[in-house]
Amino acid sequence: MLKCENYSSGILHDISFELKNKNLIILGSNGAGKTTLAKVLSGIIPSSSVFIEEKNPSDIYGDKRTELINYIPPKLEIYDDFMSVEEFLEINKLYSHKDIDEVLELLNISYTKNKKCKNLSSGEAQLLLLSSAILHNAKYTILDEPTSNLDPQKIKNSFHILQDKTILQNKIVITHNLNLAYKLGYDILYIKDGKIAFYESSEQFFSDKNLQLFFNDSVKKCDDNIVVSL
Amino acid sequence: MRYFLVFLSVIILMVSPFFGQIDISISNILDTTKMDYQIFWDIRLPRTLLAFFVGAILALSGLVFQTIFRNPMSSPFTLGVASGATLFTAIAIVLGLSSFVSFFAFLGSLATIIVLFIIASRFHSSQTSSLLLVGIALSFFYSASLMVLFFISNLQESYEIVRFTMGSLDIVGFKDTYIVILAGIFILFMVKYYQNSIKLLLVSNQFAYLKGCNVKQINYILLISVSIVVGICVSITGPIGFVGLIVPHIVKTITQKSAHKLIVPIFFYGGVFLVLCDLVARNLGTTSDIPIGVVTSFLGAPFFIYLIIKRKKQ
Repeated sequence: MLKCENYSSGILHDISFELKNKNLIILGSNGAGKTTLAKVLSGIIPSSSVFIEEKNPSDIYGDKRTELINYIPPKLEIYDDFMSVEEFLEINKLYSHKDIDEVLELLNISYTKNKKCKNLSSGEAQLLLLSSAILHNAKYTILDEPTSNLDPQKIKNSFHILQDKTILQNKIVITHNLNLAYKLGYDILYIKDGKIAFYESSEQFFSDKNLQLFFNDSVKKCDDNIVVSL
Repeated sequence: MRYFLVFLSVIILMVSPFFGQIDISISNILDTTKMDYQIFWDIRLPRTLLAFFVGAILALSGLVFQTIFRNPMSSPFTLGVASGATLFTAIAIVLGLSSFVSFFAFLGSLATIIVLFIIASRFHSSQTSSLLLVGIALSFFYSASLMVLFFISNLQESYEIVRFTMGSLDIVGFKDTYIVILAGIFILFMVKYYQNSIKLLLVSNQFAYLKGCNVKQINYILLISVSIVVGICVSITGPIGFVGLIVPHIVKTITQKSAHKLIVPIFFYGGVFLVLCDLVARNLGTTSDIPIGVVTSFLGAPFFIYLIIKRKKQ
């Protein structure tokens, strides 16, 4: 179980929620505090409010923490100029039964294996991050905007991977892609101005009434897809 | 290319003790009655070993700095650590505590690293250039303090300080060399021991943290180790610039490998680079040796710029 009790900081106010071995989608407008919340949950921002399986991630080190939680940032940032894709994935392989080749195959990026990470396109880099999440395979994986740099075909492939219950354990997905959120069908946590404005099932969130409430006229349902209306 | 470089390096290391103001013949070095014997065993060999290990330590320290501070311009010199050690050594000289110079040099480098680290932890990870500016500011502060020391010291002390700040590998006998060899083995062992953590830190601090690393603790251990060995080097040879900054980059650019695989090569080529510079300094035919720092800059700077331009073209 993942639990956050009364967390407050500069941006976030009184955040409390529980997640019992389930997947979750976090939505909210730009600057609402989604990434900050993700960093608090994973212990990158230390706090005394977060407990995963009764343990506070910012108090534990080594396997004890890595088996519980992993956070995948929206962009791949590597300081070293010459680290190859294979080397990067080697240090990510922790709890997955899959090997590196299998995962690269799954995401259709086998051709990048011997490339330097610095030379990848933004889409390839994003898929590399997803591969690293699969190889790490923590109990809870927070994916921060995992599809923001992908072309439609790659979004579809990533969607199938997120949908597959055997590939990652519990997923917490932060996204602006409402259709992805809708189709994944996980519970929705909506953050507005640093507060939890909604935390219920997907069905309730995507009712016409709530869509109107949270997004005004900017989105609509069309052929059972959520599209941005321009 | 790689084997050629190793071969060339071994040749440089082998021939270095034989050339200088007096050339030594290889047949005489085991003959205790000859002058060559004394020059070889008491002066040239300890000096070559000293040059090798000081170069190796400075290069590896540069790598550690560049990894921890996440800035390719970091080195014990650009961040003012060596200047700190120099200033404290000068203080020891002025206070008449010449026998404690090593300890003072260590204090100087440690104090600087602590200041840098406290400041760095207040910066956002993207503000790496701010740290460099702090390092430059510290260097100016230290050189101003050094001026004050010149002003209040007598002629003899001033002379000692000036000679010291020029950097020199002039030693007689093995006493200092042993200390530096031990320091070299120590830092190589420490960096090798934390190789896996360094690999994670080469991605990012946040990444290392998510893979279970105790980032703060490892940073502290590595930085304190570096300040010990840089302090030791500076107390014996004075400040020798440039090695720590450029050797890691040269080795990385030539091998095109990730830095965690280059710990031993950077250590080795750092040593070879300084031995080569010392060999040049001893053989330019001047009446006294040119300060080693002059040669490291003369040889290193153009080559470094060449490599950067070449890399940009790729």
